[in-house]
Amino acid sequence: MKITKTLAAAAATAAVLALSACGGGDSGGGLAGGDYPSEDMDWTIAFGPGGGNDIMARTIVDILQREELYPENIVVENRDGGSGATGWGYLLGQSGSGYGISTTSGSFITTPLQADTGWEPTDFTPVGLMAADNALLITAGDSDWQTYDEWVDYATEKGKVVVGGIGTVNVDFILQQMIADANGYEIDYVPYNDEGQMQTSLLSGAIDSMISNPGSIMGQIEAGQTSALLFTGPERLEALPDVPTGEEEGISDMPSMPRGLILPPDAPEEAQEWWIETMQEVAESEAWQDYLEENFLVEDERWGEDFTTYLDETQTSFEEQLTELGAL
Amino acid sequence: MDVFDNLANGIVSILTVQNILLLLAGVMMGMVVGVMPGLGPSAGLAILLPITFALDPTGAIVMLAAVYYGAMYGGTITSVLINTPGESATVASTFDGYPLAKQGRAGPALVMAAVGSFVAGITGAVLISIASPLTASVAASFGPPELFLIVVLGLLTLIVIIGGNKLLGALSALIGFAIATVGIDIGTGQQRYTFGSVELINGIDFIPVAIGLFGVGEVLHTLWRGGHLEKLAYFNVSARSRGFWPTKADYRESAAPIARGSLLGFFVGATPGAGATVASLMSYNLEKSVSKTPEKFGKGAMPGLAGPEAANNAASSGAMVPLLTLGIPGSASTAVLLGGFLLWGLQPGPLLMTQNPEFAWGLIASMFLGNIMLLVVNIFCIPAFASIARVPFRVLGPIIIVVCVLGTFTVNASIVEVAIMLVCGVLGFFMRRFGLSPAALVIALVLGPLAEESLRQTMIISGGSFGIFLDRSTSQVLLVLIVVMLLLPLLLPQLSAMAKSGLAQLGSRRRAERQDAATSVDEDAADTPQGTDDHARSSGPSR
Repeated sequence: MKITKTLAAAAATAAVLALSACGGGDSGGGLAGGDYPSEDMDWTIAFGPGGGNDIMARTIVDILQREELYPENIVVENRDGGSGATGWGYLLGQSGSGYGISTTSGSFITTPLQADTGWEPTDFTPVGLMAADNALLITAGDSDWQTYDEWVDYATEKGKVVVGGIGTVNVDFILQQMIADANGYEIDYVPYNDEGQMQTSLLSGAIDSMISNPGSIMGQIEAGQTSALLFTGPERLEALPDVPTGEEEGISDMPSMPRGLILPPDAPEEAQEWWIETMQEVAESEAWQDYLEENFLVEDERWGEDFTTYLDETQTSFEEQLTELGAL
Repeated sequence: MDVFDNLANGIVSILTVQNILLLLAGVMMGMVVGVMPGLGPSAGLAILLPITFALDPTGAIVMLAAVYYGAMYGGTITSVLINTPGESATVASTFDGYPLAKQGRAGPALVMAAVGSFVAGITGAVLISIASPLTASVAASFGPPELFLIVVLGLLTLIVIIGGNKLLGALSALIGFAIATVGIDIGTGQQRYTFGSVELINGIDFIPVAIGLFGVGEVLHTLWRGGHLEKLAYFNVSARSRGFWPTKADYRESAAPIARGSLLGFFVGATPGAGATVASLMSYNLEKSVSKTPEKFGKGAMPGLAGPEAANNAASSGAMVPLLTLGIPGSASTAVLLGGFLLWGLQPGPLLMTQNPEFAWGLIASMFLGNIMLLVVNIFCIPAFASIARVPFRVLGPIIIVVCVLGTFTVNASIVEVAIMLVCGVLGFFMRRFGLSPAALVIALVLGPLAEESLRQTMIISGGSFGIFLDRSTSQVLLVLIVVMLLLPLLLPQLSAMAKSGLAQLGSRRRAERQDAATSVDEDAADTPQGTDDHARSSGPSR
């Protein structure tokens, strides 16, 4: 008796987990004119729980639900795999529906450059860009160079330095190369798969500097374990008033990660309009401003077609730069 | 005694009725998730993380710590009973756990694993409380060269596992390395062997391969040799019967392996990268090297299960050290926890412990209570789990296959991974049929990419020179450790033989004296080999 109970329990759990994993699929469908939204929203997060994309998506959903902006249910699902290819591929499959949605990040631009995903960023119906996720040039807290000027002196004197970042076909590589080019030193770029390994690598003295997002590194900067040398955003961070921007140091147009929202390709116009209006409302909410501040994001709003143009331009410049670097 | 004050406060602060219930629920859910092949601690945490958003940070972390330990133990249950590791850290538990279950000793094996995990978990929590700063500095000295060397230490286990036919063993490992090359190459960003498939961009995951090779492969092989026709020997799984509990000999054999595994696991676990997996493999390697009866390993030796089980549990405590003291996640599971910190509005980093002491110490305290809860829950649950080993194979076989398919699909809802799993099932059958080693394949698959990545990073850093391994002090320590691990099995028999012959030459009187002393201390062993054994024990894990 016990055996059957245990097995039945295991099987039931399996069934529940399996259902929850594929639940909410295909909830999109034909729209009855004029009364959008009237169905549950199928919200895809193309990465696992806990990452930057996940936190942004859950923040927005939380605001939508708290302010009762979306009248029906929102079903949130992490569909990670293939550096975003799986999740955004799922959204591609909802083509024509107004009831699928997803948040974007850097991989939204770089993954199609790297692999035959079957979609391009411009294929999707744009809602808008909401913020830019900029980066910091970071060095260990006990290194001999604690400011940008000291770093440049050290690097140019040495001629060639060892630097790190996440991935090869990625913003980090472009940023390291831009900074090196602007100052006339060379880099050996060490690609990491994992932020944790890169951080310990820096602390162990194996690499001289690395690229990190403020949100993931601020705690260590405050503790003096690492030091920030340069911020890639347009204006200095309030939390780091002494750290210069790339612009101030004569490096313009440093790329950032686009944090925005997209609907499936060929989504109905009224769905697109509804989401643009609603998200403009979200962008003004206090909760959203708190989120931007806590995660050190820079407000950068481009709605509808402006977002598509931005994605297109960014992808073209990434492609050019990465081809030049030999990464593509 | 600041530490103990903090810890006591931590325990008091989480001892509310709500938290105890969360702890119980977490352990149960973790075990159920862990028992599903394919769903290990990191998947369990990821699935249950959203549930905790409604709780306060302390309640949430209490529950997640419980899920973490529950899922770790759940993985052991499947490794022992159906030879299917739910995640890479429990691969080593199949080596001797499954043979034990086949001998009708599933009950003792599971109890011993639970005891080992419990001791290791408590050891880990104590070490976190007192040794965090020290361990944090060790963790912060780990760059790519050190990571590469520690992965090499894990890969050395292959030599021990391969054992019999070296050529077939090496072939198995090579197949594993080959599968590991699929996906985006971190060095150049190019795709390797993906054949344009989006599903393969991230490479072939360990989970479907392990479930296929071990779970389905085992079912097919049992069918082929007519296992479904065999009559099962009856064994008792009632907690009141004697056969359910480990014997005195089991405890005596396992005490030292558990102690060694706990220490080894904690320190290896604190290094970012392959913590728990490498720790459990190193522990297995170590136990077989120092064992007086290495020939029993792989055929149901209790130390071969107890050591790795202690090691992987201690490693999961060790992985908390860089997370709490440096804000750096050392494993997939702690990366999910780090995401949780951010979602609960906590700033991970070195200041976490000083800025949110009630949270950090609550986490450590919940590790204590989680381990106690796990042991208690297990004493009641093991009879039910162990009775699975008593189900006739014609009933169990099809259920295992269904559970394998569901478990694989649940992880990423990917039908391609289910296909990979089934293909690996057939591969696993033929590997067993022709004497290849599925375990060697799986270890190569997990550690191969890490070895490749860290070696390539090292070579970029050093400009292609291997001298970097001798320049860095942590690397030097690890190199010495590798040499010791390699020489241990070779030197031990010679050392004990030398000591024995030396003894024989001594006068008969002194000899008689010594033997008297020996029999009074340990009745079943001559003192000399025991002496070298102790020496090896102290030189092994004291890194």
